[in-house]
Amino acid sequence: MIKLSHIHKIFTQGNTEVVALSDISLHVKDGEFTVLKGASGSGKSTVLSLIAGLSRPSSGEVLVEGKAISKLPDNFSALFRRENIGFIFQKYNLIPTLSVRDNIILPLIPQNPSEEVLTHSVNHVMEKFSIAHKADMLVKNLSGGEQQRVAIARALINKPKIILADEPTANLDAKLSNELIAILKQLKEENTTIIVATHDPLFFDLDFVDAQVEMKNGKIV
Amino acid sequence: MKSKMNFLLLEYAINAILRRGKKNIFILLIFSMLVFLLSSVLFISDSIKLELNSVVKSLPEITLQRFVAGKQSDVSLSRAEELLSIEGVKSAIPRIWGYYYFKVAGVNFSVVGIDAFEDQYKESLQKIVDSVDVGVLEKNSGMIVGEGVKKVLEENYYKDFFNFVTAEGKWKKVTIAGVFSSDISLEANDMILLPKNTAYEIFGMDKKMATDIVVKVSNPKEIPMIVSKINLLFPDMRAITKDDIRVSYQNIFDYKSGFFLSLFLICAFTFFIIIYDKTSGLSSQEKKEIGILKAVGWSMDDIIKEKFYESFIISFCAFIMGLCAALFFVYFLQAPLLRDIFMGYSKLKPDFILPFSFNVEMLCLLFLLSVPIYIAATLIPSWKASTLDADEVMR
Ligand SMILES: Nc1ncnc2c1ncn2[C@@H]1O[C@H](COP(=O)(O)OP(=O)(O)OP(=O)(O)O)[C@@H](O)[C@H]1O
Ligand SMILES: [Mg+2]
Repeated sequence: MIKLSHIHKIFTQGNTEVVALSDISLHVKDGEFTVLKGASGSGKSTVLSLIAGLSRPSSGEVLVEGKAISKLPDNFSALFRRENIGFIFQKYNLIPTLSVRDNIILPLIPQNPSEEVLTHSVNHVMEKFSIAHKADMLVKNLSGGEQQRVAIARALINKPKIILADEPTANLDAKLSNELIAILKQLKEENTTIIVATHDPLFFDLDFVDAQVEMKNGKIV
Repeated sequence: MKSKMNFLLLEYAINAILRRGKKNIFILLIFSMLVFLLSSVLFISDSIKLELNSVVKSLPEITLQRFVAGKQSDVSLSRAEELLSIEGVKSAIPRIWGYYYFKVAGVNFSVVGIDAFEDQYKESLQKIVDSVDVGVLEKNSGMIVGEGVKKVLEENYYKDFFNFVTAEGKWKKVTIAGVFSSDISLEANDMILLPKNTAYEIFGMDKKMATDIVVKVSNPKEIPMIVSKINLLFPDMRAITKDDIRVSYQNIFDYKSGFFLSLFLICAFTFFIIIYDKTSGLSSQEKKEIGILKAVGWSMDDIIKEKFYESFIISFCAFIMGLCAALFFVYFLQAPLLRDIFMGYSKLKPDFILPFSFNVEMLCLLFLLSVPIYIAATLIPSWKASTLDADEVMR
């Protein structure tokens, strides 16, 4: 369960204040698939980042799985993220000088899994997103679409209960986009909670979407 | 709590070092250069100190020199007998010795006259003298030389004899009858032992005279008292005690240490500049990496641990590399260049081997002043970056 109540998020840059979110309240039940849409700059990424505990709201409360993630001490929110959340970043946030494989295993490293478990998990997700053949290539040498698939694979390697996807199809062609949607559908069937921020119309009339939330200038409309 | 070593994290750290190879090689080189320089200086000065200490230890308790017109001059042998009348004096041994300047090689040899029937003023010398027949040596006009002397002579094609130029300007041919090695290398290395009569001839000395007199006492506590009695008996003689020599050696060394202390400071300064550079900020790429790690679920502890591995590996490797290079440089190569700066006071003497000395305390200090400081300098900015919101750092 994800619950945002009366969230405000204000960025200060020097003297200017940017109000990214104002009075956002949102409720997503376990296993629901939510599409977050809205124009560029409307605050979609900011919402996802608050849910993942990557930043803290200026006011209001974020509850994820019953925990006030915005109030957890840093180390706990990291642990929580590692165990529950898979985040597909809009800008991928991969480490360009690491190989595909090494990028994907990043979330597993702190858990110190056995070599066996590690290899199995990484091979599994790499095959699922058709990048196994580039496993040892450096990420900086990949195309945009390939990088996106690496980012998706990394987000899913921990088998998270919650998936937050920020423009996951921005760099994928129609075929790969449909493949991703099929995978998301399957994950939903496995009872994963999914929030996708996107302006890709492909997501707008999917039959398994539970809710569509539209944002405008930091507000839900 | 049982915690297994996380080799994946270690692997990530090693990988991270390699990914930033150029920068890390640069740091590694500077760091190990510094450790190399400092520990070389440390090894050399320790080694020389060790050497000097053993020299000082083997010195006679009191050496008596006669001064005429402000210059050292020969002493009558009869004075040695007179000295025995002073209470507390165990023995008074006249010495015939001097320096011989070997022009071709530009070095000084210490020439010491020996006598079979006389006690030597020093144990190590006594052993050598006991092992040869001075009578035979005298008959054949022979000498025994230290290893350093032997080397210098051979380099100048004197394989089995040497032509001394006597005080009268004549040649005196002396054969090399033997070579001795001594544990007190600094002193014995440049020494030539030959019969007293030969020494008299080379130095052009009166046979009733000696260069100086060495006094042994029964009780070292009585030295000041004995010295004052000697001063009364022979006002023209000056007594030099072991302590005087120790002090003058120490002065030379304090001066040298001061010089190297400044060198030390310069090096340290460079090191701190590097550190300053590191603490003043991470590159935006490094910062972003920390943000990403946080975002995918690394805790601050994980990040700090990883950075610790990175900096520990680099600084520890650099330390060990510098240390090994210094050991090799000082004890295997015998510290070319650096040694000359230290050994200025004995430049005219033939080479000697630097004895091995390993000052664990100083090395620990060097370690503590370098490795942990470097680690801290790496950890602090990383820690700072990891306390920020991941979202903020990734931008
Ligand atoms: N760290 C920040 N500092 C200052 N302003 C920020 C920061 N992060 C976001 N903003 C601002 O907040 C607003 C919302 O940004 P956000 O990235 O959430 O939009 P978005 O809906 O994801 O847009 P897009 O579709 O282009 O990705 C924007 O006006 C943006 O400039
Ligand atoms: Mg966005």
